[in-house]
Amino acid sequence: MTTTAMRFDYREAGFPIADRIRECHLRDWERLRAPGSWWTGAERVAIARQTRAAEDCGLCRERAAALSPASVAGACPPDPLLPQAAVEAIHKLVTDKSRLSEAWYGQVTTAEGMSEERYIELLGVLVHVFAVDELHRALDLPLEPLPEPLAGEPSGYRPAGAAKDASWPPILLPQHAEPGDLDIYEEFGGRRPANVVSALSLVPDNVRWLNDQFAAHYLSWTEMGEIEERHRTLTRPQLELLATRVSALNECFY
Amino acid sequence: MPHADVLMAYADAAVRRDGDLAERRAAVESALGAEAVVDAAATVANYQRMVRIADGCGIPLDRFTDEQSAEWRASLGVDEYYSALNTYGGGG
Repeated sequence: MTTTAMRFDYREAGFPIADRIRECHLRDWERLRAPGSWWTGAERVAIARQTRAAEDCGLCRERAAALSPASVAGACPPDPLLPQAAVEAIHKLVTDKSRLSEAWYGQVTTAEGMSEERYIELLGVLVHVFAVDELHRALDLPLEPLPEPLAGEPSGYRPAGAAKDASWPPILLPQHAEPGDLDIYEEFGGRRPANVVSALSLVPDNVRWLNDQFAAHYLSWTEMGEIEERHRTLTRPQLELLATRVSALNECFY
Repeated sequence: MPHADVLMAYADAAVRRDGDLAERRAAVESALGAEAVVDAAATVANYQRMVRIADGCGIPLDRFTDEQSAEWRASLGVDEYYSALNTYGGGG
């Protein structure tokens, strides 16, 4: 679905949504619709579409409620632009992510039409679209129509220095990054970034996206270190309380 | 912490898709103002993203966090989460 209406029009939202958030969401949609490193623009928008579709997938609901998700047979409705393994992965990441395992990761990334690079870009698209949608849901705003994809081919870029570290996918650490990718960890000043920051670095544009959206929705990495400063209306302890609560509700150990 | 109860109730409703989200959001607005509601919504959205990155990549705790949080993690039962396997092994 496309629209000619003003994108992310928050004038009637009923809440004073900061310009930095709207401007970030506009950039989010531009990133979403452009060809990436491993998926076309049309495929990236399809990933976003499936991220939304997962919320209403009856099979996923059954699996999430089951003691063992593998006990519920079947397949999620296919998407004409995506490998079925991608559709299944998207739905799982949205609806039942606290029961993922390295074995699951291995199955997904070796399935037909998939790879570690494609999985990491898929995850990057998913989480950033999901975060925009979650903000809308939390404020009871309608979801923004997905953008029209841009034409073009994915670049096929994989950073040469990416290597297996502590998480499932290979990552790019600052000391192994080419000059063109050093910007992704700029705010860390040469220190090792937190694992959750480097997690998506097999596709460096994912980290650029994360840096941008994290700063708009929450705090920049630099602001994160300024414990005594007040950057938002809520105090830092109040922000941290919310962050911790969301993580606990999701049973996220990290 | 001021208004911790209304903030947690709002986060609960947003994450669980509870039917009383509007009521809890109104409670945050009443207690802290409309700008605080946006802060809270954006923070919830932010961490709904971060937990999926963490779980989708199987990342372990950063060493500093692991050391600093060991005591309270155990007391709160956080070490029992399935995704603790990403830090302490045994998964797959």
